[in-house]
Amino acid sequence: MATATKAPGKNIGKVTQVIGSTFDVEYPENSIPAIYNAVRIDADKKGIALHLVGEVQQHLGGGKVRCVALGSTDGLIRGEDVVDTGGPLSVPVGPATLGRVFNLLGDPIDNRGEVKTAERWPIHRDPPPLTELTTKTELFETGIKVIDLLTPFVRGGKAGLFGGAGLGKTVILTELIARIATSAQGGYSVFAGVGERTREGTDLWLEMQEAKIGDTGRSVIDQTCMVFGQMNEPPGARLRVALSALTMAEYFRDTAAAGADTLLFVDNIFRFSQAGSEVSALLGRMPSAVGYQPTLATEMGALQERITSTTKGAITSVQAVYVPADDPTDPAPATAFGNLDAFLYLERSISEKGIYPAVDPLASSSRILDPQYVGERHYKIARRVQRTLQRYRELQDIIAILGVDELSEEDKLVVHRARRMERFLSQPFLVAEVFTGKKGEKTSLADTIRSFEEIADGKWDHLPEQAFMYVGAIEQAEEQAKKMAAKS
Amino acid sequence: MAKARALDRRRRSVRNIRKITRTMELIATARFKKAMDRSVAARDYTARLAKILENIAAAGAGVVHPLLDVRPTKRSAVLILTGNRGLCGGYNSNMVRQSLAILGQCRSEQVATHVSVSGKRGIAALKFRGIDMDERYTTFEDKPEFDAVAPIGRSYLEAYASGAIDRLDVVYTRFDSIARQSAVTEMLLPLKPPEPAGGTATGPAMLASQDYDFYPSSESILEEILPASFLSRLFKCFLDAAVSEQVARMVAMKAASENAGGLIKDLSRRYNRARQSQITGEIMEILGGVEALKQ
Repeated sequence: MATATKAPGKNIGKVTQVIGSTFDVEYPENSIPAIYNAVRIDADKKGIALHLVGEVQQHLGGGKVRCVALGSTDGLIRGEDVVDTGGPLSVPVGPATLGRVFNLLGDPIDNRGEVKTAERWPIHRDPPPLTELTTKTELFETGIKVIDLLTPFVRGGKAGLFGGAGLGKTVILTELIARIATSAQGGYSVFAGVGERTREGTDLWLEMQEAKIGDTGRSVIDQTCMVFGQMNEPPGARLRVALSALTMAEYFRDTAAAGADTLLFVDNIFRFSQAGSEVSALLGRMPSAVGYQPTLATEMGALQERITSTTKGAITSVQAVYVPADDPTDPAPATAFGNLDAFLYLERSISEKGIYPAVDPLASSSRILDPQYVGERHYKIARRVQRTLQRYRELQDIIAILGVDELSEEDKLVVHRARRMERFLSQPFLVAEVFTGKKGEKTSLADTIRSFEEIADGKWDHLPEQAFMYVGAIEQAEEQAKKMAAKS
Repeated sequence: MAKARALDRRRRSVRNIRKITRTMELIATARFKKAMDRSVAARDYTARLAKILENIAAAGAGVVHPLLDVRPTKRSAVLILTGNRGLCGGYNSNMVRQSLAILGQCRSEQVATHVSVSGKRGIAALKFRGIDMDERYTTFEDKPEFDAVAPIGRSYLEAYASGAIDRLDVVYTRFDSIARQSAVTEMLLPLKPPEPAGGTATGPAMLASQDYDFYPSSESILEEILPASFLSRLFKCFLDAAVSEQVARMVAMKAASENAGGLIKDLSRRYNRARQSQITGEIMEILGGVEALKQ
């Protein structure tokens, strides 16, 4: 689908070597394609069609270039003709992409016919110049207590969901989509599925068709475009799909009506690094720390710098980041850390207690959790909650050895309240209604702050711990306690 | 490495804690034995005294003494016996809970209460809960002396006789056996009138009554023997509390040592795993580098 600016057939090379998902092509020495140029192979061998797009990664000298295949190399043989398209891979952009599902090449994969757009933008682009960046900082309310209180999101900023396998990253991400994309604010959403389960993508697609935006009666999908390069795709595809999605989002930011908020959801940015590492070895680069590619930070930086808000429009992005082996010091998640405004770290020990979202209140943080942005009251209670939970964690060894009775009276009170706060940080989700049997709760920031203040002040010390599980504002905990008392 | 080192540091601190708890367990065991001997000795004396009192009651026609008077309670006194030290499991907090119950009861009945507390732990805990204490003792350790307890007892007797208090309750941990101690609230004043020898009295008791000749009178005997009985019972409370504290400490420290052992085992396993995976990672990196250089 990539547009050929030159007349096709002008610049043709031959495949000389195929190594996994990379292949070498030999061109005439005076017309080798530039780095990042897309090259196409269209062959028909014994009735089996092969259509493959590759991206030039290295010049090996003597007219040879090494390319990463953006699709499967199955059936590729040496001597095949390879056409240089004369420019990087480009994807369709514009209002016509809304409501559609694409692969990384910009081809629709939802069987709804061709996408006609006036423009195609190359997926490799420069980040906006620093003079155009916006410095506005505004809190982005999600209605999820733990996020709003401890890791407030930034409007037009980037938030990351870090977590090991099975801690609920995708659930939180879909929850955020359900909360943000369904609120009637006129923004567009772009979803990038990078190297995750295809099934999850399908679920999301179907859900978006059903979900309505506010009271407008329009489906969420009408304001959304989705780009998938899931687990089954070769590494080259997973490496570039995030860029394809980002390019579509950039169009909305740069050209849509002023003030439009664009949302970019990426699940999962770690797969981008992982794909890079798979490709890197095939390209013959020496592996660096923990076997990752030496260009890990460069690749991540090139992607993340483009996800930013400018004076023209804002991109608010939420990215899931898989943490291999629950080790946040692993280079891939560690590189992603620095690029984010807010990060939520999901902790296994919390999910084991049955508290969801399993956000670690001490490891998670946000750039704008600062009295300057969120206000003195919010800042104070957030720090107070963290201090209480921190103290509880410190005391845990002592409790494990000597028992609660050995604590001083003050510490007993700290433990008492910390256990309630810990449970109160859980919340029923809109998307989990079928599993929990509880209606999803949207808690306003004001309610969240007030509730935590009251818990910290000891107003609700008399309620049993269990009453604090999966409720919205504190009054619901009181109600739940009454119900529990009535039952027993 | 950061993770492995943090785990190792934690393990070392848990090891130190275990050293302390194990030592305390041994010390508590030794002290417990001594305290129990004293308690058992006192128990015999107290039981004997109670027996005599019973016999006198059986013999005398009407036993009348101010200490036996049951008056409507307007002002009561509560004595709470706790330990000076912690690290004894739920011993102190049980005492605090027990005393809060009785103090709450006094308050709801609107009875003026004179509160005395023995033991730093109890004093601190009750102070934290905002309870006013009239008398504090911090001198009773694992070997309470009768000479130290007697003045306290006498002051209660005087207060009772003068009508300053109408009732005295002692909150302490009764030592039933090594396996069982129970937090109790016991009323010491007014002294319960001895069971009058009625139809339920057994033959020997009836017989015993005939063995006594009172001289000069049964009243003067009671004058001596009732305060003595009260003091010995009060002393017994202190002794029981001391034994119970040591038992509680022994059990708590034993459990703590075991818990620490479990924690160390767990931390060791995690430390070894972290170390191993780090080494594996490094080897993989070196090998990867070598392989890449070969090409």
